[in-house]
Amino acid sequence: MKKMQIYSSSVIRKRLFAFLILFAFLFILIFVRFFYLQIIDRKKLLQLATEQWTREVPVVASRGNIVDRNGKIFANNQTAYSVFVRPNAVEDKEKTAESLATLFGLDAAKLLEKMTGKKVSEITAVRHISKAQVVKLEGQKLSGVYYAKDNIRVYPFNNTLSQVLGFTSVDNVGLTGLEKYYDKFLRGINGEIGYETDLIGVEIDGDFYYKPAVNGLNLQLTIDYDIQVLAESALQKVYQEYHPKSAQAIILDPNTFDVLAMANYPTYNLNDIPRDDAELLNQLARNKLVSDIYEPGSTFKVLTSAANIEEYIRGNPNAFAPEHIFSDARTRTVLGSTIKCWNEHKDGKHSHQTLADAIENSCNPIFTDIALALGKDKFYEYLQLFNYGAVTNIDFAGEAQGMILQKNMATLADLARIAFGQTVAVTALQLACATAAAINGGYYYQPRLVQNIIDNTGNIHQKFTPILKNRTISEEASKMLRGYLEAVVESGSGNKAFIEGYEVAGKTGTAQKFENGALAQGKYVSSFVGFFPARQPKYLALVIVDEPQGAYYGSVVATPVVGEIFKGIIDLKNIKPLK
Amino acid sequence: MLQSKNKVASLATVSIKKKRIGNLAIPILTVCIAAFGVLMVYSASFYTAQAEYGDAFFFMRKQLIGFCIGIPVMVGVAFIPYKKLQKLKWVALAVSVILLALVFVPGLGVTNYGATRWIGFAGMTIQPSEVAKYGFVIFTAAYVCKNPEKIKNFVGILPILGVGILLCVLIILEPNMSITMCMGMLMLSMLFLSGVRFKHFIFLMIPVIVAVPILIILEPYRLQRLYAFLDPWQSPQGEGYQLIQSLYALGNGGWFGKGLFHSMQKFKYLPFAESDFILSVIAEEFGFIGIVCLFLVFGGLIYAGIHTAAKCKDFFGFLLASGITAVYAIQVVINALVVSGAIPPTGLPLPLISSGNTSLIITMASMGVLYNISRGEKKKEVAV
Repeated sequence: MKKMQIYSSSVIRKRLFAFLILFAFLFILIFVRFFYLQIIDRKKLLQLATEQWTREVPVVASRGNIVDRNGKIFANNQTAYSVFVRPNAVEDKEKTAESLATLFGLDAAKLLEKMTGKKVSEITAVRHISKAQVVKLEGQKLSGVYYAKDNIRVYPFNNTLSQVLGFTSVDNVGLTGLEKYYDKFLRGINGEIGYETDLIGVEIDGDFYYKPAVNGLNLQLTIDYDIQVLAESALQKVYQEYHPKSAQAIILDPNTFDVLAMANYPTYNLNDIPRDDAELLNQLARNKLVSDIYEPGSTFKVLTSAANIEEYIRGNPNAFAPEHIFSDARTRTVLGSTIKCWNEHKDGKHSHQTLADAIENSCNPIFTDIALALGKDKFYEYLQLFNYGAVTNIDFAGEAQGMILQKNMATLADLARIAFGQTVAVTALQLACATAAAINGGYYYQPRLVQNIIDNTGNIHQKFTPILKNRTISEEASKMLRGYLEAVVESGSGNKAFIEGYEVAGKTGTAQKFENGALAQGKYVSSFVGFFPARQPKYLALVIVDEPQGAYYGSVVATPVVGEIFKGIIDLKNIKPLK
Repeated sequence: MLQSKNKVASLATVSIKKKRIGNLAIPILTVCIAAFGVLMVYSASFYTAQAEYGDAFFFMRKQLIGFCIGIPVMVGVAFIPYKKLQKLKWVALAVSVILLALVFVPGLGVTNYGATRWIGFAGMTIQPSEVAKYGFVIFTAAYVCKNPEKIKNFVGILPILGVGILLCVLIILEPNMSITMCMGMLMLSMLFLSGVRFKHFIFLMIPVIVAVPILIILEPYRLQRLYAFLDPWQSPQGEGYQLIQSLYALGNGGWFGKGLFHSMQKFKYLPFAESDFILSVIAEEFGFIGIVCLFLVFGGLIYAGIHTAAKCKDFFGFLLASGITAVYAIQVVINALVVSGAIPPTGLPLPLISSGNTSLIITMASMGVLYNISRGEKKKEVAV
């Protein structure tokens, strides 16, 4: 009552009261504003603030190892460190730059320039330094300088399996080969340690957190290190003898399509990659067996033979019986186009040939006869069954699918040539797989390079079992074909791969190269696809020699290489001869 | 009828007794707030003080010295009858103007952060604008008191306006926009409370409203600050930085705060954490609840001031008390609004708490005067 009397005693007292009300109102406004910021908006503000309070030091995940089928290590990591500088937290920039330059052989002026740049909160001074260097660095006690583990990818066998393994970036990201294809398994997840720091990055006695790294998973390949080395040294030998542009070899287990070896020559050292020469690197790093296509030539006759045998067994009247004697003529003319045998058909050579003889002699016109007799539709059915013109789906990036004329585009003249491996382009992998699918009883599997993904406790994280894509021909047809191909090595063009008591079988191939749409004189691709033992094949090898000098027949250049590899495998696995 | 008369009489006796003791809430709250200020200055500054001066107590010691000087000053002033100030209106004005002018004398003016707001002598710096606010209050109160009827017409207001504008101009030249704003608001408050006609008051508001945008346009940095206020996230590393950092501090505080000494923002993130933005650190360490409690204390002091004015039978005392209270209240409100991003950032201390001795000692002294007013006049007591 009394207060009211005083306040209302004059205009002035009323105004004082208004003044009080005004400030009461302003105080309420302040409370509302603080409530909004401190309670309602808190989460958002705190999240942003936390980002500015913490500095993270990465905890690098170890990249998974790559091992061969027996556990031999193809790729692993060497512990190394990287050194970072937070310029804001550096006390004496010039001295720090000087010290770091001396320690690691860097350019002090450049380092100082980087450190004085205004926009960066952190710079990488040097990567991949050793533990010993880190100890030295610690001794210097430089403020604003810190280091973190940063592994180096190492390949203990340097040049071995290079194109298949591939390589990583300096940040350990897979760039090519299996390193790229399986990167998501190999790379792991980096962790970090977060420290609370003041504005300029000086650590304070605050909270810190540790988020451990999740190391990458390991790959167990189907590759057999010993066989790989065998193949590579055999290629090196043929390379030195015939000076080709390149040579490749692929060795499969025909029963599972496990790739046991995949070799390209010339090769390069994965621990010393020519990163500065992109063109050279691209050339050397290319896995030609998977990514490049070539005209196969006579090795393709395996398909034509298989088609005929299977159709004969099925009772197709157009197929030729094993005892059928083909025409002795050297040439066939189809739609005005002449097909010739490589042999002159003189002095009784290539006469009275059965299919077996034709395979042994690699007589081109006979296969033309078969293809034309079976007809385009039937023949294309077999092309498809043997997966030509389509990727094999091997676990490797950048697979080519080959080139097969479209069925409706192909003339009979084309068909006549495709029958013995011309006007068709395939990858080496396709040819090896198709051949394996013809001689293994007629099973086409998906080829693979990795059989298991193994976690860091040694348990299998993921298992890849062989995947049967389709049947090709019957067991019976396959068996017959194996017999014919064994004869090729025993007494035909493949005799340089013969090994007494091991039933080596195979087919040679010599294809003239096309360049700019015309036959290139003197440029050949010599190849041989072989397997053993013929009655129950365990190993299949395809060797390709691109543009050999001095000799060019597959039988001369490529066949001995397969023979050498098979001998090596026999020694290695201590395989007893068959009786 | 008789009964009620007795009641009034008895109430009057009580009020006489009260007057003699005065409103003890004023000195007690003042000392409590200032002591809390010393603590908070330490909490907000120990890290930067250690980093920059090699002495964690650098700012805290200064503040403590100010506090130790402030208490005897306040007590001393509390025993000087406030009426004496009425005769000192020209002195107060002259001291204010001279001190403000000295800022511009080379060798005396001290420049910090691009503004010359301090004068230095004998190793000490004082901020004349802090003195000028009270000089203006004393002058206006004394002027209006001399002839209260004068201000009923417009010509009578002109001397107050003239003095106010003179002081404002001197402060703008430093430059110090925030104290100028304070001074302008103080001028309006004083005119309002001294009873100028309402239509005159409204008429006076117009140039003030017009002046604000003009002053902003005159100095580009003010415009940038305005942009930064409207959207601080546009330039989180530039103009918006300070405000964002203040908001982070508030957000980190939440309901109950991180606890004393546990502010993260004082680790160099928040500029002026120990002075203009000390409220952010308080909000971070004591949370929303702490802010509410602190403002209830501030409110208590302001209420005590207004109550003192209301109870004062003497017009000069009334104007002086409400003026002192207005100076304090305006600064508290503006500082809180700046820190919470409700108005564009200006450099204004939180009185009694922010680091800065001139402000601390003068504010404590003004509270001494306020307390003296609350004690009333001996003569009148005798008369009753």
